[in-house]
Amino acid sequence: MSLETTVPAAPSQQPPKLPPLKALVSRLAGNPLRGVIAALVIIFGASCALSPHFLTTFNMVIIARALAFIGLVTIGQSVLMILGELDLSVGAIGGLSGVVGGILMVQLGLNPWLALGLCLLMGGACGLLNGALITQLRLHSLVLTIGMAGVYGGANLVATKGVAITGVPRDITFLGRGLVMGVPVPFLVLLVCLAIVAFVMLRTPVGRYIYAIGSNPDAARMLGIRVNAIRMGAFALAGFLSALAGILMVARLGTAQPSIGDTWVLGPIAAAVIGGVATTGGIGSPIGAVLGAVIIGIIEDIIVLFGISPYWQSVVSGGIVVLAISFDALARRYLNRDAV
Amino acid sequence: MKTAFAFAAMLTAAPFLAPLAAGQAHAADNSAPLRFVLIPKTVHPWFDKANNGAQAAAAMISQATGRKVEIEYRAPQTADVSSQNDIIERAIATHPDGLILDLLDEKGNRATMDEAVDEKIPMTVFDSLPPEGMDITAVGADFCEQGTMAAERLANLVGKKGEVAIMMGVPTAPNHTLRAECEKKVFAKYPDMKVVATGVDNDSIETAQKQASAIMQAHPDLVGWVECDASGPVGVGQAIRESGKTGKVKEVGLDNLNDMIQLIKEGVAESSASSRPEMQGYWAVVSAWQRAMGQKTPKYIDTGIDLLTSKNL
Repeated sequence: MSLETTVPAAPSQQPPKLPPLKALVSRLAGNPLRGVIAALVIIFGASCALSPHFLTTFNMVIIARALAFIGLVTIGQSVLMILGELDLSVGAIGGLSGVVGGILMVQLGLNPWLALGLCLLMGGACGLLNGALITQLRLHSLVLTIGMAGVYGGANLVATKGVAITGVPRDITFLGRGLVMGVPVPFLVLLVCLAIVAFVMLRTPVGRYIYAIGSNPDAARMLGIRVNAIRMGAFALAGFLSALAGILMVARLGTAQPSIGDTWVLGPIAAAVIGGVATTGGIGSPIGAVLGAVIIGIIEDIIVLFGISPYWQSVVSGGIVVLAISFDALARRYLNRDAV
Repeated sequence: MKTAFAFAAMLTAAPFLAPLAAGQAHAADNSAPLRFVLIPKTVHPWFDKANNGAQAAAAMISQATGRKVEIEYRAPQTADVSSQNDIIERAIATHPDGLILDLLDEKGNRATMDEAVDEKIPMTVFDSLPPEGMDITAVGADFCEQGTMAAERLANLVGKKGEVAIMMGVPTAPNHTLRAECEKKVFAKYPDMKVVATGVDNDSIETAQKQASAIMQAHPDLVGWVECDASGPVGVGQAIRESGKTGKVKEVGLDNLNDMIQLIKEGVAESSASSRPEMQGYWAVVSAWQRAMGQKTPKYIDTGIDLLTSKNL
């Protein structure tokens, strides 16, 4: 579904036929999702051609599993960005949920599945608290969540004293390490979550309300949309998905590391932007955002496969990200080059 | 949207469609170069020194045997277990002749190391200990001994009395925590010594400098410092110099970063208990090479600790 309306051209006003390259660029630039898929195909194809180690079962499993954690956080962050908000505490919520899960399972001896459920609820509650503070106190989400990241991150250190909690029950390690017909379990969890959220965003009134609020919150309010309730719900969803990523990471590592989530702040935002989600709100989709995360995941993979110096890694990955997000602007400039 | 779903389905199916394996370890092929991947905890000058030692060992083996040995240095951008696991897994995908790892947390790294075992890739660890039950050589120094050596040296310098402070490194790093615990045990032995403050520098010189300045303001009677990582002593030394307390506040640092050596030469720090990173990198490669040749290797190679002073620099 696209929210952008298109008016079909009248038969007498057929657009002039473009040269093949220009036509291709025009098609890609006209739809952010097509652009990100094109970028992904190019990067995937180049990686296959340049490294014999890239297209192997083992490496595909690695990419899929690594994508799962960052992808879950990206889904929540992309919904918030479409809504015109940001949550910089998602990583801290993921880390706190992971260590609380470790405490409940290891130190308090709680049933692992019950502990898992409680942690997911706690993550959702943390997100809801963010949303409540933002809507009720009318605070900017960027500023508020910077502060809340400190609160959740600090609570993590208080709870663990910086020391990892070991001895996570084997009952749940399958969630992080297991394979179902060769596909990593966390990746399957990501696909299920993506399908649900994408359906809600693109096929239900709630999704349309989110796009409407992101495009113009005042107009949405005038239309009778419960803007604050939807905002709080979106923050709760982001917290829930971050907690899910945190728990899956605990299952993957077999220990509850206080550092879980430290790298989940900027990556999902970059992934969403690459995937066509506008930072100003109202445009994009979680599917595009996750495809953006796939691009970042492949770049991180090939950087290691190619043996690029660690000092150049940030330059290379950052440069490719800038190139990917510049595609739209470059394409438009190319298309307008000959225009009068 | 259909295109997006189709593409997502294609990505899901990729693991099934991909060829089973791209390459195998080629240690048995005597003409092919031997390739070892060295993965430290993170990007840091201490690990650059370990890498220098590793490259020196590779050059030595190449020269002695006539078979080229390559060291690929792949450092995580942040000291995070999951990031390190990602890099280890991607290195496994290239089927090297050996992995040389500085583990962030042996329990958190365990599942990934099991994958290397499944792929029959030999491993050697340095500056850390392997997970329990794994037949892997560990190269390094005793962290507790290093912290104890620094704390004892400071205690003797200040006459075993007065207020001292400890600069912790990264609270989640087991080696930093262990050094701090051993340092505290030393000071606890002397009734006239008291640890009045513990800073956390997160292995950042700038953070250590800020924290040390604040702690010295709050505790004007402070007589000495010890640290738990390589960056901490540099920041603490800079704070001592800036506050004009050189000579009044004693510092016994850790490791041998160039800035640390300079602080000793200038008299800001009295000495440093250094864990010889070059030697750790060197012997880790020697061990990995022997493993790749099918030889058994020792359980532990102790590279020892140097006490660096202005006299022996």
